[in-house]
Amino acid sequence: MAFNSATYLLVLLLAVVVYWALPGSARRIFVLLAGLAFYASWGIIFVWLPLLVAVIVYVCGKQGHAEPACAKRWTWLGISGLLVLLAIFKYRGFLLGNLAVFSGSAGSSHSWATTIAFPMGISFYTFEAIGYLIDVRQRRVKIPSLLDLCLFFFFWPNVLSGPIVRARELVPQLSFRKAFEGRFIFEGADRVIWGLVQKTVIANVLGVWEDHGFAPGLNSRPSTLDGWFLAIAFGLQIYFDFAGYTNMAIGTARLLGVTLPENFRQPYHAATPPEFWARWHMTLSRWIRDYLFFPINAKWQGAPLPLYVSLIGVMGLVGLWHGAGWTFVLWGLMHGTYLVLYRIYEAWRKMPAGAPASPFIAVAWRVATLVAVFAAWVVFRSNNVSQARRILSAMFYRFAAGSSYPVLFYACTAIVGVLCAVEPILLRKLGEMEERAETETLSPFRVMVHPIAYLFGLLLFLLFDSNNAQFIYSQF
Amino acid sequence: MPEAEAIRKAAKEAAAQIAGRPIKEHQKLVSSGLIDSLSVLRLISLLEKKLKISIPPETLQPEDFDDVETIVETVERVGTPLS
Repeated sequence: MAFNSATYLLVLLLAVVVYWALPGSARRIFVLLAGLAFYASWGIIFVWLPLLVAVIVYVCGKQGHAEPACAKRWTWLGISGLLVLLAIFKYRGFLLGNLAVFSGSAGSSHSWATTIAFPMGISFYTFEAIGYLIDVRQRRVKIPSLLDLCLFFFFWPNVLSGPIVRARELVPQLSFRKAFEGRFIFEGADRVIWGLVQKTVIANVLGVWEDHGFAPGLNSRPSTLDGWFLAIAFGLQIYFDFAGYTNMAIGTARLLGVTLPENFRQPYHAATPPEFWARWHMTLSRWIRDYLFFPINAKWQGAPLPLYVSLIGVMGLVGLWHGAGWTFVLWGLMHGTYLVLYRIYEAWRKMPAGAPASPFIAVAWRVATLVAVFAAWVVFRSNNVSQARRILSAMFYRFAAGSSYPVLFYACTAIVGVLCAVEPILLRKLGEMEERAETETLSPFRVMVHPIAYLFGLLLFLLFDSNNAQFIYSQF
Repeated sequence: MPEAEAIRKAAKEAAAQIAGRPIKEHQKLVSSGLIDSLSVLRLISLLEKKLKISIPPETLQPEDFDDVETIVETVERVGTPLS
């Protein structure tokens, strides 16, 4: 059951009413059953998988906590088990395909490797599970019950595509003992409806042309204008698609009185490559920083060469986490290279963190970051490396005139680009309006604007919901 | 181990040196984006020098250095005097 469907919205409405009508203890069972049903709606045969993940981390975490001398062994045992499951269910085709190429037996079929379906959300809950085991090893988390862990892994707002949550920030909220407050409904509905509009009206509309521009069989080189517009349109599509999904996830949780961490902070306003990763998919960046990048560099005390190697290596893994394909790895390696180049610049300038650069340098980094990020999106979206090379060459050095799309495509991309550019101003204005409304008693803003906005959002959803496209990140 | 007040003073000085500006007691360093994870490693190195202690960073996370008070708690928890 997709978030961007009328069925989900109706079921969500019913679930929220039932949830708040139930006493605290019954809410836990209700949310667990709702999570199981939601996950089963994507493929009933894989319901056992998050359950197995919960059992693995419960046993390894508990044993590691009880036997401090063997804690490291239990942590690694758990992490290895989780990675084996991830390899089997997500990377088997990629691994076997590449093994076949290297061993010279390309073309031999591994029918079992391609016939097993993909369990939704496996990359996300595997990372949450690994984070939990490391937190237990570092004694940052109290050992929860198996029921708590099942609730954590089956919590339906974020089970499919995050935000990637730490057990220590979500499990304490899963007692569901909060009393009902009207603001939960307003805050939750705001995010759900805005997410729905972002996905249906913005991302899906751009996606139709993107599917054409990146069609698998399309072998011709686009014009320079088309190359740039395809890159920018995909960058905007994936942002509004994933931010839309995240808003719906955060909003759904908020309707239950639960707070999930934010995932985006206007990423295309980043001034440098590291800042882009502090604004894009923030919960993944936090996971990578805390459980991979920081421990690796702590070992080498931040020495330059290990730092640069680890940046490129870790970002290559981030690419692979997104999808089992070389274009994803290449996308990650490109971002790793951007980060290394910025670190080299920082070291050369001997800048303290946050030190202001000259206005010219600051603008140059801002533009370079934006161009580099959109160039990398071409690789991410392409079906293979040669398709990416054709589009990138048209953008950067094999200039050709012409345009192959309807004017509406260029106009829509430009309008969404402007929307993205003014997003911080819009958010600030909205925040100010909300603040003003809160100081007024029974303000017309609170009474009327929210319901009218919800109706308008739902109307837009019904008008634009023609292709009911899947969220991009649900494939990862 | 150094006294809490000495750790607090060293933490403020080291954080200010890394951030390139004065730091307030409750100012968030990592979660506000003022310093990044690499700067946290430099912060650890500075604290070790100033306090003549050893801080094993392998079991730590950047959030353990998010403000001056958290730094004091972290150093008291994991820091060991250099022999």
